[in-house]
Amino acid sequence: MSEPVLISGYGWVSPLGSSSAGRSKETDSGIAGALRSQDFDTNLFNGYSAVHSRAIDLPGQPTAYVPVASCDFDHSLISSVSKVPLDRGAAMALSAAKDALVNAGLASQTTETGFELSVSGIDPTRVGVFWGSGMAGAFSFDQTAEQIYQHGKRVRPTSVVTIMPNSAAAELALMVKAQGACMTYACACASSSVAMGEALRALRAGWLDLALVGGSEAMLTPGVLASWNALRVLAPVKDSQSNLSQACRPFSQDRNGFALGEGAGAFVLERQSQAIRRGVKSKISLSGYATNCDATHMTLPDTSGQVRAMHAALRDANLQASDIGYVNAHATATSAGDLAEVRSVSEVLGAQVPISSTKAQFGHMLGAAGAMEMVASIKALEHQTLPPNANLSLETVDTEFKLNFVASKGVKAHQPLRHVLSNSFAFGGTNAVLIASNID
Amino acid sequence: MTENPPQPEQGSTYKAIAEILVSKFQVEENTLTPQTLLTELGIDSLSLMEFVFAVEDAFNIRIPEERLDPREAGIDLQKLANVIDEFILSTKK
Repeated sequence: MSEPVLISGYGWVSPLGSSSAGRSKETDSGIAGALRSQDFDTNLFNGYSAVHSRAIDLPGQPTAYVPVASCDFDHSLISSVSKVPLDRGAAMALSAAKDALVNAGLASQTTETGFELSVSGIDPTRVGVFWGSGMAGAFSFDQTAEQIYQHGKRVRPTSVVTIMPNSAAAELALMVKAQGACMTYACACASSSVAMGEALRALRAGWLDLALVGGSEAMLTPGVLASWNALRVLAPVKDSQSNLSQACRPFSQDRNGFALGEGAGAFVLERQSQAIRRGVKSKISLSGYATNCDATHMTLPDTSGQVRAMHAALRDANLQASDIGYVNAHATATSAGDLAEVRSVSEVLGAQVPISSTKAQFGHMLGAAGAMEMVASIKALEHQTLPPNANLSLETVDTEFKLNFVASKGVKAHQPLRHVLSNSFAFGGTNAVLIASNID
Repeated sequence: MTENPPQPEQGSTYKAIAEILVSKFQVEENTLTPQTLLTELGIDSLSLMEFVFAVEDAFNIRIPEERLDPREAGIDLQKLANVIDEFILSTKK
């Protein structure tokens, strides 16, 4: 068996709050996501939903309202080593990654926004970056198109390097001086889970000693929101005054779509031997991963592909189905998606394993979803508490679904929680399954 | 049209471009003088393009490359300020 790979640090920017209060300033915007970092755990386990409405005002079209979960995050405050302007997603990536590096003991927070890296003793050629995003650069691309077509203005000189999908990974590599593999994965909703899993493989194979991994997504701009709205997968919104805390209802009988989220989740993955040398205290490992493709449909999920992926992840972690104590479902509250996943989880893990979807709280963070849901899964291991199904009750659950759904507020695990499994099932058919374990 | 367009206040253009460097490109204010070369700003070629772009936006002008190519050696902030002032005056004539 290969050497365990530890999650030696992690950080995040999310609609429920970020891992760094210093980079999350309160605003008077009135958005539901305007929350400080120290509230994150409380928000997560209390089932707080950050979903609110946003108007799309595009020329020649009636105003449309869509559900979103945005972050209280001013990306103009984040500077990069390259000093070129950052896409909002890349700025979120840098912020989350800095927190992960500080958490892993690889950097220190010198001031509220100051940051000093201390990676002495680590061979930079054996440090990699594995990053995921479904629509990387979308924020800047949409703004650039608006400048050209709506305002008749010229394009910024560095638009290409801001928009290119590997911009965030490149900025991260510059920040930590990582000279090993620098990879970007675009597999829609599975992007960051694939990035984490492929980094796990690279570390196990001995190609790297340490990897900065995760994903980011910032796509809450008019053109992108209109595109998602046109696909008819978003929960309907009547007007700007609608109360949307109950808008996204995974596993409910009357589920009708999701809210788009944004944010980033970052992790430091490290071979255990090196982590021990550095005195890392983390006892959580990334223990299993598998990915495959349904190859049946662009958007319709296939239970058999999901089943194969979960079985493969269990084999990869050398675990039995009964070892899994919590499942963070992909469940986006679409009719077909939740049904396919309930069937696949039932088949592989049985009906008794506690399961929840945190999409009702974060929104669907697309390429960052897998990373953020791994944050929620790690929180479950650390607190021995199961993240809730925020908008689900015995009265509202789909009567066809016979699983052990966690209540609408987080509950303490009934038995010691040692292994958690997180599903990411993407448009395009990519399935990715990650398992994290407490190795105490 | 004004017959005698107002002359830019002495040093005001330099101050404006120095402010852009400090606020948008994280250049330390106390490292800047009118004689600081563009190549000494501690910003790379990409950022230099963004800097000139930001300066042009701030003054609402487009400096033709034959007037000033920021990639050339030996251009300092005062020369950039002078080119801006001359360009503004020439377009007002």
